[in-house]
Amino acid sequence: MSRLSRFLFLLVLFTTLSTDSVKAAESDGKDNTIDILDKLSNHYYLDFKPFAKVELPRILWTNDGILFFAGTTSAINSDAGLIDLYYLDNEIRYKESGLIEPVTYKLVHTDGRPLKMDLSISTHLVWMWVAGFLTIFLFARLNKKYRAGIGRTSEPKGSFQNIFETLIIFIRDDIALANIGKDKYMKFTPYLLSVFFLILFMNLFGLAPWGVTPTADVSVTIVLALCTFFITQFNGTKDYWKHVLAMPGVPKFMLVIITPVEILGLFTKPFALCVRLFANMAAGKMLIYSIIGLIFLFADMFGTYVGLGSSVIWISFNLFIYALKLFAAFLQAYIFTMFSALFIGMAVEDHSHHGEAAHVIHESH
Amino acid sequence: MYIVLANSLINVDPGLIIWIAVTLILFLLILSKFAWKPLLSALQEREGRIRESLESAEKAMRKAEEITRKNQDALKEAEIRAQQIRKEALEEAELLRADRMEKAKQEAHKMIEQAKNEIQQEKKKALADLRKEVTDMALQAASIILDAELDEKKNKKLVDSFIDNLPKN
Repeated sequence: MSRLSRFLFLLVLFTTLSTDSVKAAESDGKDNTIDILDKLSNHYYLDFKPFAKVELPRILWTNDGILFFAGTTSAINSDAGLIDLYYLDNEIRYKESGLIEPVTYKLVHTDGRPLKMDLSISTHLVWMWVAGFLTIFLFARLNKKYRAGIGRTSEPKGSFQNIFETLIIFIRDDIALANIGKDKYMKFTPYLLSVFFLILFMNLFGLAPWGVTPTADVSVTIVLALCTFFITQFNGTKDYWKHVLAMPGVPKFMLVIITPVEILGLFTKPFALCVRLFANMAAGKMLIYSIIGLIFLFADMFGTYVGLGSSVIWISFNLFIYALKLFAAFLQAYIFTMFSALFIGMAVEDHSHHGEAAHVIHESH
Repeated sequence: MYIVLANSLINVDPGLIIWIAVTLILFLLILSKFAWKPLLSALQEREGRIRESLESAEKAMRKAEEITRKNQDALKEAEIRAQQIRKEALEEAELLRADRMEKAKQEAHKMIEQAKNEIQQEKKKALADLRKEVTDMALQAASIILDAELDEKKNKKLVDSFIDNLPKN
């Protein structure tokens, strides 16, 4: 019974979402459906529905050089030869004020050529800045306490200091020290701490009203993963590179197979970091929107009252997912930090003793 | 439309990447310089202090324990010594007592001996006195007898009276 209902549930979810909602969006252009993928993507405005929609400044690298605009509306209404991608195939729509209304907010030249680069301030960037400023603000305040001597010469006071100190010490001792080793861990602890709190706050913003999770965007997680990648490679010891390029204690002909695999491994590690964080955050968000969407699907299929009545189930289910997302926000920040520490630890580890042992074993054969 | 939307999920936006990279680098630099360095050093300082005080407390405890142990040892030793002293004193007292007893016995013996000697001497003296008295009495009696020989009659009478004077038994 439960299997059948689950099958029906999934069937309804996918068929309706993938075709009908898109068709509906296409047919009348107005939003009476929830476009989940659009909710997940990056925008050039901050949406404070139903109060306001704040356009963000556009910085565009066009054929005429770099252009600045206060917002997308002013960009497409200027004489810089820019147009919303939507208007290439559709009729131009006007706002009440008589200005051209942006639809997709993706700009191209009027002749359809793409821009050289779109360096505009976008939602994900803004929320990353918020996370960054929040982190800096919190730890500057925490720092003031330590500078005043609280926590330096006396015990830490207050929940604020205690909570963050617990997290800091956890990251320092259980992540950095455990994975990197006591000789070098202090060098990388600042990076791990920064990344942990930045990712944590970015993850948590998705749970706030009007908030957006920047980590649900691959572009953001790519940069984070690349940062770990570069730190790992630049701090790699001679032993580390020897292990990558020519694994000691392995027969020469086997290196033909092992070395390419090892080199591939250098890149799969940050790739996994990037995709894990992005996919987890995006999936959680998608799940929440999908379950909210079920209310409207039920209302469409069985009538408004069934939709309203069943909403109790969907909302309580959503609350559960929400709690799960809260947990995942911490978990993913921890996992990213933990794996970063692990990769750095593998690169900076001194294999001298271990390597010698391997040689001895090899020679004794 | 659908393809555009699907694309947006894994849309790698170079403009955004540049911005995020710049932000991240600035963020990391600012935070590690102004927050983590002083914060971590403060934590380390505190931990160092706590470790030091724990170590010194342990050292003090060990010292106190040692002192206690020493005291206990000293106490035990003192007790043993006291017992020994008491025992010695008892032995000495016993010895002294025995010695004194012996002396007293000897003294008593001596006194008894002396008394006996004295008694012996007194006895000798008394006997000598008695002998002398008896000799004197005999001499007297002899002289009296000698005086009375001149007169037979009177002598006879004297002897008779002497005999009469003797106790009759």
